[in-house]
Amino acid sequence: MARIRVIYENGSPERTIEFDPAAAPFQHDGQPGSVLDVLLGHGIHLEHACGGNCACTTCHVIVKQGINSLSEATEQEEDMLDRAPGLTPTSRLGCQAVIEDADADIVIVVPRYTINQVSESR
Amino acid sequence: MERPAYRARVERILEHSADTRSLFLRTVTGRMPFYSPGMFISVKIPLPEELRIRPYTIATSPEDGEPFELIFNLVPNGRGAAWMFERKVGDLLDFTGPFGAFTLERAPDRETVFIAEGTAVAPIRPMLRRALSQPCSHSVHFIYAAAKPERLLYRAEFESLAVTNSRFRFEPLIVQGKELYESLSDEVARRWVHGDGERRRDFFLCGIGSGVLKLRDLLRGAGYERRAIHYERW
Repeated sequence: MARIRVIYENGSPERTIEFDPAAAPFQHDGQPGSVLDVLLGHGIHLEHACGGNCACTTCHVIVKQGINSLSEATEQEEDMLDRAPGLTPTSRLGCQAVIEDADADIVIVVPRYTINQVSESR
Repeated sequence: MERPAYRARVERILEHSADTRSLFLRTVTGRMPFYSPGMFISVKIPLPEELRIRPYTIATSPEDGEPFELIFNLVPNGRGAAWMFERKVGDLLDFTGPFGAFTLERAPDRETVFIAEGTAVAPIRPMLRRALSQPCSHSVHFIYAAAKPERLLYRAEFESLAVTNSRFRFEPLIVQGKELYESLSDEVARRWVHGDGERRRDFFLCGIGSGVLKLRDLLRGAGYERRAIHYERW
């Protein structure tokens, strides 16, 4: 079984789930087996304004542990991440980062702001 | 931070063809917030078993105010599009946004090429308005591809824009019997890869599937700056 621990920068209570990556997809949005797919499929909300199609950065997460258990970022994901506020070397889009290790032990942080929240407050 | 939600009423419906239509929406709670040409809204699609979020690009310019327009077509097994297709004048729908990174904030300061196909013209249409909003000397090209003439939306509008703006070239491209992106790639390669050594141009590409990424790779591989190639893959 794989495990994801979700930490929220806004102070919301953290969540941890265990799951079988081979059982993906768990729902309809994002790449099958992606962080977004896993979280939504286990009742954990992660924003995904574009429906998980790599067209926004609202599912931006910072991977604190287990980045090597995730698929490599594509050029399209990297291009999109360039637009994310608070970008870090371990930033990923939840809709594109697929969990490839059956025993992955991943910790992610959900940032407080997304690019859209920044623009809405202009 | 809770994201603001809005409710809009369908004010008008425009049938482009049997499977393509536009909804013109006016917000009834709150006001449509600031947005840039190219942005989309996230529509809440209330299916019987769940609530789905689906993005629809705003096809009108921010300067036009409301109602704003969403354009879409029926897609096989596309339950979101099917739900949108069932909307009638007076119906309400809920959304958040606008969102998106594929945008054109200000008129470009150098030659710019826009490329789209079918309904993927939605973000390009307000971008063109913005691109042509300031007097300047550089060219603005728009190659608009489709398999059939009736799939070229707003054709008269773009033709009219080309008549009134001498630096704007509208180039409809009907592709029959050949893969659409193969034709587009050939055209782009002929004119902006092999045609000259100039690499100071911006490109805005929008379309469906991996063909958009192939165009991106063609241009970046030819030496254009990474950030000069803007694209959105539907």
